[in-house]
Amino acid sequence: MNLHYLMNELYYQKRRTVTAIIGLSIGIALLIILNSLSMAYRQAAQVPLKEIGADITVQRPGDVPKDLTGAVFPCSAVTISDEELKKIQPLPGVRGIGKAILLWVFDQNRAWIVLGIEQQNPVGPSILRHSVTEGRFLEEGKSEALVEVAYARQFNLKIGDSITIANTTFPVVGLADASRAAKIAVANVYLPLAEAQKLAASSSQLQSVSPFGPNDVNLLFIKADQEKITGLASALKDILGKKTTIGTPDSFLKLLGSLFALSDKFNLAASIIAIFVAVLIAFKTMAGNIAERAREIGVLKAVGWTNRNVVTQLLAEAIVQCFIAGILGLVIAAIAAFALSFMKVNIPIPWDMSPTPHFLPGGGDQIFKTLRLPVHIPWSLAAFAILLSVLIGGLTGGLLARNISKIKPSEVLRHE
Amino acid sequence: MNNGTILSGTNLSKKYGDLEVVKHVTISINAGEFVCLVGKSGCGKTTLLSLLSGLERPTTGEVKLDGTDITKATEDQLALFRRENVGFIFQSFNLIPTLTAWENVALPLFPIKMSGDERHRRATELLEKMELGHRMDHLPAALSGGEKQRVAIARALVNNPKVLFADEPTGNLDSSTGDAIMEILTKLHTEKGVAILMVTHEVELAKTSQRLIRMHDGQVIA
Repeated sequence: MNLHYLMNELYYQKRRTVTAIIGLSIGIALLIILNSLSMAYRQAAQVPLKEIGADITVQRPGDVPKDLTGAVFPCSAVTISDEELKKIQPLPGVRGIGKAILLWVFDQNRAWIVLGIEQQNPVGPSILRHSVTEGRFLEEGKSEALVEVAYARQFNLKIGDSITIANTTFPVVGLADASRAAKIAVANVYLPLAEAQKLAASSSQLQSVSPFGPNDVNLLFIKADQEKITGLASALKDILGKKTTIGTPDSFLKLLGSLFALSDKFNLAASIIAIFVAVLIAFKTMAGNIAERAREIGVLKAVGWTNRNVVTQLLAEAIVQCFIAGILGLVIAAIAAFALSFMKVNIPIPWDMSPTPHFLPGGGDQIFKTLRLPVHIPWSLAAFAILLSVLIGGLTGGLLARNISKIKPSEVLRHE
Repeated sequence: MNNGTILSGTNLSKKYGDLEVVKHVTISINAGEFVCLVGKSGCGKTTLLSLLSGLERPTTGEVKLDGTDITKATEDQLALFRRENVGFIFQSFNLIPTLTAWENVALPLFPIKMSGDERHRRATELLEKMELGHRMDHLPAALSGGEKQRVAIARALVNNPKVLFADEPTGNLDSSTGDAIMEILTKLHTEKGVAILMVTHEVELAKTSQRLIRMHDGQVIA
């Protein structure tokens, strides 16, 4: 293979070279963008759960007492017993479980959304410690409250004040602004889990529709192995019942409603089409280019180039051309990815994960998590795309070169 | 075959389907001889040249170059044989448009393991002999017809061939440029002793050769 000849051929035959490179690079760019978009939607769908330090949320729907007084469970989250919890812990793929209790407390003059959380568990709503804007986070073993900053402002609550929830008084030790960070498991008041469990256990209203033991909860946050999430979701339904609401990245992905988010099959089909188009374009342009050079190949063979010499030269040209096309495709895709990363995506939060009672003002409104689409091209995808274009070049170039190398010089050099 | 014979074709025939283009031709050329093959267009002279140079296989018959039967060689063996033994000059020059003059001359040397400097030296030497030293780095598109043909002659000589095959080498040139090319070929033959088999339909041009072979309807008639 003569490198100088190769470079001259690519440089001086600009029309051929540019057509082949642009054609293939569009196919490669399409492939990269499709996959990057799909990954971006997948990543976006994980955000609502990641905000609360989990991969899966679990809640079981049930009944609300007819008389809404004192502490009650929302109809979307009733008792998950300690026994059921013990069955969940050893499931394969479970790396950690965070427990919580979400309560609606209807006191005489005020309604509270209360979330009981484990202060020290890194899985679940304890992630709120990063959202404390004033005072401090809840400490282990203390009966105290953390109040959402907007709620505190509305009711003029300050650190050092005491609040009474379902006849139990808690000192306010801190204010948190969780609503900006998370859309799930956001409440007006955060209590230690044990305190919330006491409120729930002592509520006759709650017990009347959803029997509750001292160690039971109604919200679970599970940290899981990514590849086992789907299987785990199914196992959880087997334990807790088919009606259980399992929030997973996939369930959020479905809510996004984007074609890229809807189905792996769509992405796979689109990728295959992009590759097919890229191969077709490469094959067609290279076939045209090589056919145009039949006379040149005849000359090479007449002056003593063997079939192998010809194939090696043409193959090297095709590979270099396709490598350049791969790089160009990557650059096009990177520009497109940069432009797409300004796109905002609204992830709808399902009503049953929203903590606000739907009958309160604003409670029925659809909540969205809005974020910029995290489009980026992973190194592995970039490397795959370039390898693929070189492979396309190698296969198509090799096939075409092998074919044209069989040409008889006398057939193409005859002047009559 | 006598000692002086460098190229011989015995009972050569070539058929394309039912059409017999070359009919039972026997021909021989001595080392250092300048032979012209003349005849009207379509009489089979280019096909005979292709058979004798190993560009084409005969339907029947045998071709020997320097004592080697090339009719039984594989495609790749034929290519290597051409690389080592023969040079070609075509009517339409057949230069590679993307290579400079010296690179075109060095084209037969590209597949050979040889340093770039050596290739350049050999090509440069030949181009200077063709009085094209100043056109070394020009692409064919920047050369005149006569210059292109001189580059093609240099390319045909770069591998020190035993036989030079020229197919209507002046066919695309005006008469004065054609004369100049013929002068070069004659000089090559006399100075380097290269055997030349030239195909032409111009009898006047053929008279500059040592021997004239006439073809008509696929057969040698004189």
